[in-house]
Amino acid sequence: MGILYALVGRGSVVLAEFSGTTTNASAIARQILEKTPGNNDMHVSYSQDRYIFHVKRTDGLTVLCMADDTAGRRIPFAFLEDIHQKFVRTYGRAVHSAQPYGMNEEFSRILSQQMEYYSSDPNADRINRLKGEMSQVRNVMIENIDKVLDRGDRLELLVDKTANMQGNTFRFRKQARRFRSTVWWRNVKLTIALIVVLLVIVYVVLAFVCHGPALPSCF
Amino acid sequence: MSFQDIEAGRPFSSRRGLMNGKQDPTQAVAAGIFQINTAVSTFQRLVNTLGTPKDTPDLREKLHKTRLHIGQLVKDTSAKLKQASDIDHHAEVNASKKIADAKLAKDFQAVLKEFQKAQRLAAERETAYTPFVPQAVLPSSYTASEVDVGSDKSPEQRALLVESRRQEVLFLDNEIAFNEAIIEEREQGIQEIQQQIGEVNEIFKDLAVLVHEQGAMIDDIGSNIENSHAATAQAKSQLAKASKTQRSNSSLTCLLLVIFGIVLLIVIIVLAA
Repeated sequence: MGILYALVGRGSVVLAEFSGTTTNASAIARQILEKTPGNNDMHVSYSQDRYIFHVKRTDGLTVLCMADDTAGRRIPFAFLEDIHQKFVRTYGRAVHSAQPYGMNEEFSRILSQQMEYYSSDPNADRINRLKGEMSQVRNVMIENIDKVLDRGDRLELLVDKTANMQGNTFRFRKQARRFRSTVWWRNVKLTIALIVVLLVIVYVVLAFVCHGPALPSCF
Repeated sequence: MSFQDIEAGRPFSSRRGLMNGKQDPTQAVAAGIFQINTAVSTFQRLVNTLGTPKDTPDLREKLHKTRLHIGQLVKDTSAKLKQASDIDHHAEVNASKKIADAKLAKDFQAVLKEFQKAQRLAAERETAYTPFVPQAVLPSSYTASEVDVGSDKSPEQRALLVESRRQEVLFLDNEIAFNEAIIEEREQGIQEIQQQIGEVNEIFKDLAVLVHEQGAMIDDIGSNIENSHAATAQAKSQLAKASKTQRSNSSLTCLLLVIFGIVLLIVIIVLAA
């Protein structure tokens, strides 16, 4: 989780605060407000157990938030800057003469929304958004690698099948050539047989006409 | 008579010249020192206003003009003092006049020293503060004193200045530490992004290798299919020729059967007769 507590104050006077959980953050925040005297601009962070209190004071207005130690510093201070701008834009000069908790009733809702935004929305930080986008690109590329590997497997199967088909067509061609040769030889044999039969018939007819097997009358 | 006349003429002329030259430079030096005193007092009052809410660009401009004015006065008075000193050395004057000139020189030195002190203080404060600050950045503050007691207040003001400088350095150190922490965290995020980009680069390279290998596979598939197509075409032509030969075989077989039939018929007819 990110930012758990937020507070806006002037000097040691609390103007608005919001707490996301039931902790003693409010008491510690007041101690911090009293422990940081003066009116100069500053950025400081105090650590307490597992939580860090980030304090930013600009133009006499103090914005404070409590975040866990995994949130770092960039997001909490971006949150403080955003809250400070919203507060000054909303209340303007009234900040310097306001009563304690004078803005708490309506500004605590804005504090809650911004705490939620900066805690869970990755778009709150450009680096986090870019990190998320790079993660998405990496995931998409990993999926692409898987798909290309599947395609490779199927291409290997296709290579095997086309190799088989090539072998089969070579064998088919060889058998077709052998079949053609067989049929041709049978044709040759039938032709020879036909010629022999015709010669025999001619001989028999001549034998009858010439009155003898040795053909004495014709020669 | 001529000797007395010459001697009487020279002392008279010399005495009158001495009287005129001696009085004018001394009085001029005294007047100059008085003016410098007045200007330095004004300058110190302006310097005491630096670092207070009254510190404005107009005040800075006035301070600058006053400094230039004092410089000019110092130059003029120094020239006149030198002139008076030359006259003292050249002519015979009484001791009271020499003592008066020496006193004027001493006063002039004192005024110069005071001016230098005020100038140094002004330089320090001009660098320490800026005009029209919206609020007091440094926690230490002091009120401007109109009483001209610069020499008495100088140690106190110097101590306050050192304290202000130390506070400012602490403040800047805090700001530097904060900015360094932010920069380090941002660098860490950018390092992670760089690492992810490196991984995506590796993935793209692997993808290129796989696609190239599969290109070779597809080439093999293409050549296999082309070879199969050619072999099938040749087999088809061979089968066509075989079909034509087989049709000729059928014709020859029929012809042979017909001839055998006729021969058999003739033999039967001859035997029957």
